[in-house]
Amino acid sequence: MGIRAKMFAGFLIMAVMLLIAGAWSIYELNNIGISVQKVLDENYKSINAAKSMIEALEREDSAILLLLLGKREEGRDILRSADEAFQTAYETARSNVTIPGEQERIDAISRTYDRYKTLWSRPIVETAREGNLDWYFREVHASFLSAKLAVQELMALNDTTMYQTASGVENRAHRATMPGIIAIIAAFVFALIFSFLINLFIVTPIIRITSGIEQYAESGRSFDVKVETRDEISKLASSVESLIARSKK
Amino acid sequence: MRYHIVLRYAGIILLINAAFLLISGIISFWQGDSGFFPLIYTAIIAALFGVFPFIFVPSTEEISIKEGFTIVVSSWILSCLIGMVPYILWGGEFTLTNAWFESVSGFTTTGSSILTNIEALPDGLLFWRSTTQWIGGVGIIIFALSILPSMGKIGMTLYRSEISPLAAANFRYQTRETLRIIMTVYVGLTIVETILLMFCGMDLFDAITHSFATIATGGFSPKNLSVAHYGSVQIETVIIVFMILSGINFGLLFLTFSGKAKTLLKSTIFRTYLIMLFVGVTLVAINIHGTVYGEWGGTIRHAAFQVISIGTSTGFASADSTIWPPFSQMLIIFFTLLCACSGSTSGGIKVDRIVLFWHAIKKRITEIQHTHAIVKAKIEGLTIDDDVLEASLLYIILYVGIVFISGLIISFLGVDIMTAFSASAATMGNVGPGFGLVGSASNFAGMPELGKWILTGDMLLGRLEIFGLLLLFLLKSWK
Repeated sequence: MGIRAKMFAGFLIMAVMLLIAGAWSIYELNNIGISVQKVLDENYKSINAAKSMIEALEREDSAILLLLLGKREEGRDILRSADEAFQTAYETARSNVTIPGEQERIDAISRTYDRYKTLWSRPIVETAREGNLDWYFREVHASFLSAKLAVQELMALNDTTMYQTASGVENRAHRATMPGIIAIIAAFVFALIFSFLINLFIVTPIIRITSGIEQYAESGRSFDVKVETRDEISKLASSVESLIARSKK
Repeated sequence: MRYHIVLRYAGIILLINAAFLLISGIISFWQGDSGFFPLIYTAIIAALFGVFPFIFVPSTEEISIKEGFTIVVSSWILSCLIGMVPYILWGGEFTLTNAWFESVSGFTTTGSSILTNIEALPDGLLFWRSTTQWIGGVGIIIFALSILPSMGKIGMTLYRSEISPLAAANFRYQTRETLRIIMTVYVGLTIVETILLMFCGMDLFDAITHSFATIATGGFSPKNLSVAHYGSVQIETVIIVFMILSGINFGLLFLTFSGKAKTLLKSTIFRTYLIMLFVGVTLVAINIHGTVYGEWGGTIRHAAFQVISIGTSTGFASADSTIWPPFSQMLIIFFTLLCACSGSTSGGIKVDRIVLFWHAIKKRITEIQHTHAIVKAKIEGLTIDDDVLEASLLYIILYVGIVFISGLIISFLGVDIMTAFSASAATMGNVGPGFGLVGSASNFAGMPELGKWILTGDMLLGRLEIFGLLLLFLLKSWK
């Protein structure tokens, strides 16, 4: 193999190492982007919706206490707006079912909330239920807690999945950076080996040939330079040798 | 020293590694797991590094002992380095230290692991993990020699560094023939064991990986519970048989399979090896019967598996021997130091040196009794030179000394004495599990970082028969 091909092979190998590392890093970075988008799409929306539902449930609970105290207008106003907020958040969560087991939790929310809503939809002020704390704790508060628990379970499921995806992203980030680091180390080691071989098989023979020619020119010592490789350098050495042999004649 | 020659031959080793990395990568691709890119990328890097010296360095027929030796040692270290790359790239539990530990443990056929959840690894990476043991088992260098174009003197030069002195006496062949023997026996045993394990109910992947680990006396299992995962007497029996076979000198094994079984039966080393294992199993079985296991069947099954697994430096586990009585633990530690025969894939001091040690004692006693007599130690009719006896004694002393010193350093790092010394002995003997926190049912994950580096040093020292590695650092003063 000629010197040009050897040099080309050396640089090509370095380029291939860096190219593959670069391509892999781009692929992994792209995957990180997809994973982040997935977290936002699949989990963050549902977690936010769950938070809104819990807030709405707590407002409804306060409104029921106002009704128990006989404040019908304030209580009903709060109940109406909280119910609207709950329904909006529920719709968001319902349309964003992406994780296994999420649909079951959405159904549980619907079931428990309907039961809760039935309790406070009925008139409370100026009925036997007004001021009836026993009824509140026995039926309303228990229903409120089960609806809240159902929403919390939805949030926990999304939280866990988000954590797992985030851990995956961390692993992907590791996989995006490591090929680069390995490629840099490999390229550095390769450069050292490349330089060592160039020095051994190209530079040193040229120095020896030059020195041989100089010695012949100065003192007429015979030109005897052995070259291991079969490339331009060995051709140069044999050409010089035959030139000197011809000039001696 | 012609470093370019070392580069050329080390390149062959890298190409062999690249080929196995490629196979592992194909398995990952087939399974669609996350091990594909780490394995393929490493295969490409190994192939590029392996091919490059061929472009520049012309082939040579002559190679000096010093060069041959450097090729052997640097090949082990290079393989360990390239072997850790897919682990680092994959991530998970593999930090830099952990990846190095797992890779060295594989190539030296030690079988100690830092993984707390082995089954979390993708199949391709698990296959590579087992392959490192298989490559290491036969000796990377012997692998390389089987494809080297220029054999002759070069082969024997490289070969001498690989196997301890007595083993060489068992081979009365030329190097090319020796290599053919080793490869035939090695591959043959692997195939037969794989088939038998499949008959016993293992799937192909598990059968291959367990065969790789058994024949190499490595001990890496793709299961968290090792062989105990299967709870099968048939599987354990097959593995026991192949562990015993893998602990025998491969030259003797080849003669046996060629119809010359007498040679094997006449071998003092082989008989001592079998007797020691038998006595070990019997004593452990008596000790654990009634205290750990109620029935004799279970007692003998677990005593045989654990003693033979450690006694052949394999390191598979069928039970947690850390809960066994102290006497059994001490016996197993004795086997951790001793291990099997030279010329096999096992580590440790080896039965050969124990036999030499025994003859040295007998010789000394005779010399004391008969002060004017010239006494020569003889094994199987062969006179053993004094320098061979002296070298064996020196090796045993140095071996125990290194185990003690590294155990001492590890205990200084805050590790309890039992864990520190058994870990040191288990890694030096290329056995795998020790006792305490690094028992057969646990792993080396809890070992301090510095401790892991010391233990990998022990693994390399043990695999390269101590002097192999030490001489690398004394190359300049080696005339």
